[in-house]
Amino acid sequence: MNRRRFLKMSAATAMAMAAFSLDGLPPKGGLFRVGQALARTNYGPANGSMGAKEITSVCEMCFWRCPIVTKVRNGKLIKIEGNPKSPVNGQRVCARGNSGIQLLYDPDRIKYPMKRVGARGEGKWAKISWDEALEEIAHNMNKVKKKYGPHALAYFDHGASAENLREVFMAMGTENYTSEPAFFQCVGPAALAYLETVGYIATGTRQYNDMPHAKAMLLVGSHIGENVHVSHVREFIEGLAAGSKLVVVDPRFSVAAGKADIHLSIRPGTDTALLLAWINYVIQNNLYHKEFVANTCQGFADLKKEVKGYSLEWAAEICDLKIADMKAAIEMLAKASPHVMIHPGRHSTWYGKGDVGRHQSYAILSALFGAVGVPGGLYFPTPVKVGHIDCVEEKSKTVAPVEVSLKEDSAYPFSAAFGTVTADIIKAINTSKPYPIRLLGVNGVNIMQTIPDPYETMKAIKKLDFIFCEEMMAGETALWSDIILPDAIYLERYDGVYAYEGLTPYITVRQPALPPMYEAKPPYWIAKNLARHLKIDGFPLPDAKALVNHDLEAVNLSINKLNKQGGIISLPANPYRTPENLKIATDSGKIKLSVAAFEDEDLDAIPKFQPAPAPPKGYARLIYGRCPVHTFSRTMNNLWLNHEVPENKLWLNDEIARQLKIKNDETVVLENQSGKRSNPIKVLVTPGIRPDAVYMTHGFGSKSPHLSRAYGKGAADGYMMTNTVEDPFMGATSKRTNFVRIVKNKSILDIPEIIPVPAAIPKFKLRKLAADRQKAGVRPQYASTGDFSIQERRGGE
Amino acid sequence: MRQYAMIIDLTRCVGCHACALACRAEWDIPAQDGYRRNWVRNLGPAKTSHGLSFTAYPGLCNHCDKPACVPVCPADKIKKTFTEPKTGKTKTMTVAATWKNPFDGTVQIDKTRCLGCGACADACPYGARYVNTNIANKNLDGDGIADKCTFCKPRVEAGLRPACVQTCITDARIFGWRDEPKIADYIKKGAIRMESAQVQTGPNVYYYGHPKDLELLTKTSTPQEMP
Repeated sequence: MNRRRFLKMSAATAMAMAAFSLDGLPPKGGLFRVGQALARTNYGPANGSMGAKEITSVCEMCFWRCPIVTKVRNGKLIKIEGNPKSPVNGQRVCARGNSGIQLLYDPDRIKYPMKRVGARGEGKWAKISWDEALEEIAHNMNKVKKKYGPHALAYFDHGASAENLREVFMAMGTENYTSEPAFFQCVGPAALAYLETVGYIATGTRQYNDMPHAKAMLLVGSHIGENVHVSHVREFIEGLAAGSKLVVVDPRFSVAAGKADIHLSIRPGTDTALLLAWINYVIQNNLYHKEFVANTCQGFADLKKEVKGYSLEWAAEICDLKIADMKAAIEMLAKASPHVMIHPGRHSTWYGKGDVGRHQSYAILSALFGAVGVPGGLYFPTPVKVGHIDCVEEKSKTVAPVEVSLKEDSAYPFSAAFGTVTADIIKAINTSKPYPIRLLGVNGVNIMQTIPDPYETMKAIKKLDFIFCEEMMAGETALWSDIILPDAIYLERYDGVYAYEGLTPYITVRQPALPPMYEAKPPYWIAKNLARHLKIDGFPLPDAKALVNHDLEAVNLSINKLNKQGGIISLPANPYRTPENLKIATDSGKIKLSVAAFEDEDLDAIPKFQPAPAPPKGYARLIYGRCPVHTFSRTMNNLWLNHEVPENKLWLNDEIARQLKIKNDETVVLENQSGKRSNPIKVLVTPGIRPDAVYMTHGFGSKSPHLSRAYGKGAADGYMMTNTVEDPFMGATSKRTNFVRIVKNKSILDIPEIIPVPAAIPKFKLRKLAADRQKAGVRPQYASTGDFSIQERRGGE
Repeated sequence: MRQYAMIIDLTRCVGCHACALACRAEWDIPAQDGYRRNWVRNLGPAKTSHGLSFTAYPGLCNHCDKPACVPVCPADKIKKTFTEPKTGKTKTMTVAATWKNPFDGTVQIDKTRCLGCGACADACPYGARYVNTNIANKNLDGDGIADKCTFCKPRVEAGLRPACVQTCITDARIFGWRDEPKIADYIKKGAIRMESAQVQTGPNVYYYGHPKDLELLTKTSTPQEMP
């Protein structure tokens, strides 16, 4: 008898004894067959997924959208693989791509249109019909428009589901439709910096960074590898495998740092000091590409003058780095010029002030090294032509005139081109200034975990006349919605045509593996039918399949033709330029080392170092990032992904942990600078984080009990973000301007200041903030009842 | 005898778990505690004698030269004839419900004859096997059925790569014959087996990487004694 059988028998005996003692009779089914009633003989698929029916498509487990093959057997989706004909990922998909199956079959999916029956945020709904749901939305959109004007309607959107419905909002005449958290809470500052400096958005949804051919790379805060977009990670690893050097600047020891030649564990909030000191060093030591700078750049003399004061010695104190390390790193990068990848990053809404300047500094370094339009540098996208048809004709999408526009008259000179500032919409809802916003449509974005401050968002939602969402899972946004529309998931629908303009351009399409389950409907159907209820003319095509075929027809393709070629066609790339044919798309035709357009708006033409306030006494800065197994706050309920990584951990510096007597895997709660407390979170004690910062992966700690696996697991960084600083350029909201201390066994532990902060960096003023918040009428405790109840319940465990 | 082997190149691995999930999908493995053929444990960041390391332990059955799991199987012994696919050469051996294939070196299970007693799972120093108690061979009065990585034998025989190798987003996994250059070269340049003084089963999954990463892997994950 082995251990397992022995244990099993002991357990069975104990149960049997219990049964005897209760009714005096032996249990039915025999002593050793306890728990075997469910047994079935199923050896699993003998040949795995081989031989299943294959349909090519496009992933949407994240926005990177890798070409995939879906494999269906007996009407069930059994496997997702990369499309072997894809030049970017081949047969590879990441953890999330593999787990799309469990999004499709998640029992917590929203199955029917639903109407709220409890209070907003309570998550009580009743099933209604599609007709009722769409009629109620249409009725409320018309009513709000009639009473408050078209701009009282606003739309928060992200991803492939959001596009068709956006046109419906546009047809209503509102200006508040591209308010994407993907821009104002993520890529905004980086996108603007590159657009104004090199004339195109070198980092946006796509990243035109030639890592495979780089001889040296610099990552500042970018944690490629933990942040997984398959082709991007592949390009990074290919570059390293081919011998590229790597410098990583990060207060945390990331996976990328683990592969770096030099890791600079920088004081958070001081990156621009390092970058400006490096720019100065490159200029002073003649390490720049003189020919490229002379022929292609403008503003060099101004730049040279402006950065002159930023020495490595000065930066060493500000950044808490060693001069020798900083010097070795910049020399390593300069040596590789022009084949050097100064990675532009993407998520850039860090500190509010100085975010544009930081990304401008990367772009300036790329330009100084001549690393634009050359192998290993920033490259140019290759335009890929496909057709386009408006769902609603352009002339029917006129923005209604308005006396004071929230979008055009924004306090931020560079926001309007990208949409209405997200934070301004929340403010307008809460203050009715410059005009009331009374109705919100939300599609494909969890506004609670994405937009800081979530307590302000909750307050705003309570003020709305109406809020609806189009969603797949009943997450936090659904909790707060009056009507929920069940969205078909990406495996159940056609969408647009996907054209990739990177190093290996291609055209592919998303097509369904299976028809939608339950009463879910594809986004095109939803938008088309809502338009019908609103009596908006448009949506001339019967469905999304027809739309895809229409867009393919313009390039003499069709879904059938594509499918005959493996679902994808590759096109030639044109990423590089010779000096003769290098054309910069700025108004002057030059790369702008100094941006006059910024100066015209009383902003810095050349970045200046503006220190982000350091943590107040007793607190550490909360920083956050990605985990390769999850996307934003979207995948935490996925059976397989949850099983793999069910919760996040709080990275705590080992010396701090020693002083506070906190052990690895111990559970703590965080309290931020305004008294907001987190869900309990386990601690990872590690030397891989600075003592003045703590880190967690984003998106955990869901407050929706309708996500049975994700609910309350781990802590949410978003709920700790109550202090935001708006970027003066485009109003993006900062996310690294929050500080936490640790609560263990109900007592508050101050985080000791191990590394002194130089006088040049002000400390965040704690009291002032609390006073401000009280003046503004915000209680310095839990602002929402929902939040409070979860805290209480979990606190009592 | 030729031996199938795998290299896991930690210089390329980012610890993303794609391998573990492709395996789960390919073989329809229930998402229950401990039920997996393939796993990733993220290690660190932690101090090593070569500086900080933040790496991963991507694990699977090692298809050992001297598998500890095979001799402990209490199932009735039968005569089984193995055929080499290429040459048609055959070899007959007496086996229980699990064995080491004489032509490719993979360790396999006959699920129709497994008693689910867990002896093999208990014997493996790497914890590479689990017993699925949702299913059982009722005719044998079984308690469950053991499962583990097969090196994707059916796929490999059909000319495909193992599911974990195919999905690996950075091509960190290399599968083939142990004497093929793509594997042998890695062994020559220092890929290690996760062996210790007490555990010498001859694992055929090799790990290649920076010394700091191999040090952390070995320190945290190499079994120090036989179970």
